[in-house]
Amino acid sequence: MFDFDATLPLIAIQFLVLTAIMNVVFYKPLTRVIGEREDYIRSKKNEARERLDKANRLAEQYEQELANTRRQSQGLIADAQAEAQKIATEQVAAAQKEVQGELLQAQQELNQQKQAALGQLEQEVDALSRQILRKLVGATG
Amino acid sequence: MHYSGLLLDMLNGFDPMPLAKLEVGHHLYWRIGDLTIHGQVFLTSWIVIGLLLIASIAATRNAQRVPSGIQNLMEYALEFVRDLTKNQIGEKEYRPWVPFVGTLFLFIFVANWSGALVPWKLIHLPEGELAAPTNDINTTVALALLVSLAYFYAGFKKKGLGYFAKYIQPTPILLPIAILEDFTKPLSLSFRLFGNILADELVVAVLVLLVPLFVPLPVMMLGLFTSAIQALVFATLAAAYIHEALEGHGEEEAH
Repeated sequence: MFDFDATLPLIAIQFLVLTAIMNVVFYKPLTRVIGEREDYIRSKKNEARERLDKANRLAEQYEQELANTRRQSQGLIADAQAEAQKIATEQVAAAQKEVQGELLQAQQELNQQKQAALGQLEQEVDALSRQILRKLVGATG
Repeated sequence: MHYSGLLLDMLNGFDPMPLAKLEVGHHLYWRIGDLTIHGQVFLTSWIVIGLLLIASIAATRNAQRVPSGIQNLMEYALEFVRDLTKNQIGEKEYRPWVPFVGTLFLFIFVANWSGALVPWKLIHLPEGELAAPTNDINTTVALALLVSLAYFYAGFKKKGLGYFAKYIQPTPILLPIAILEDFTKPLSLSFRLFGNILADELVVAVLVLLVPLFVPLPVMMLGLFTSAIQALVFATLAAAYIHEALEGHGEEEAH
């Protein structure tokens, strides 16, 4: 079991050679690949973070613009509403004035016709009363 | 070393199943000049190394930004060992140590699991048997000594000769213990790994020998768990020793 011979140094040398070869074919290339992958992931992560920041900034900016626009549009609506109100009142007032004018005119016409009718009625009353008088006077006279 | 082989040879007598044959202390010896080496350790370690290299190359050959398949798996492994190293050594200085600690973990982990999962017995060798490379004391001692060298290197590189100050830092009375630590660290590292893996394979083999088929399955599951934990413990301790050498004794108490 314990017979040492030239196996020992040869295995040691063989192991050192193996280490050297493994260093070239295994440790160095794979360490490099892993390092490159880590770099790649790190750079992609940074890039993504920057993009996220940018997107957030843009979103904020758009939100502000949206708020501004909303405020402006509300002002516009209020203006338009006020203007419409004014126009409406003006038109209502004008219409009322017109209506009143027409009413007045109609009343005046009515009055005139009433006067005319009354005058005519008076004449007829006069004529009738004269006929009645004549008949009465004629019968007696 | 042969007594256990003897005992198990006795057990072998009862069982005709070829799968359940046990051999401890037999090696497939290869000779290079005057030197002998354990061939089976190298064979399996080459398979383990091949697996690691194939998986690494497959993962990195066409590395994508969005990982899939084998790349995902290996990235998980890399991040695991990186976190392990970072937790032990600290954010500031862990980077250069990731390949060493990580390869320790991956090599031991794959080696242990190959011992537990691959039915090496089906491949016959002229002598000895294939098993996890960490099953051999030579491998574990080699790795443990490399850890020792690594933390000495770390300490000297950081502080130069000032590294020796750590031996007498709180009080010179502890100098013998501090020196002793440098010996106990590799010893405990290597024997912990060796003992656990060998014991696990022996327990599984003995159980297979005694009650074949389904009874050893829970023990095999436990073996998988132990193997993974041992790999983790080895790598974590290696990183902890390196951290200790980098920090020095005074600050080490604080955290």
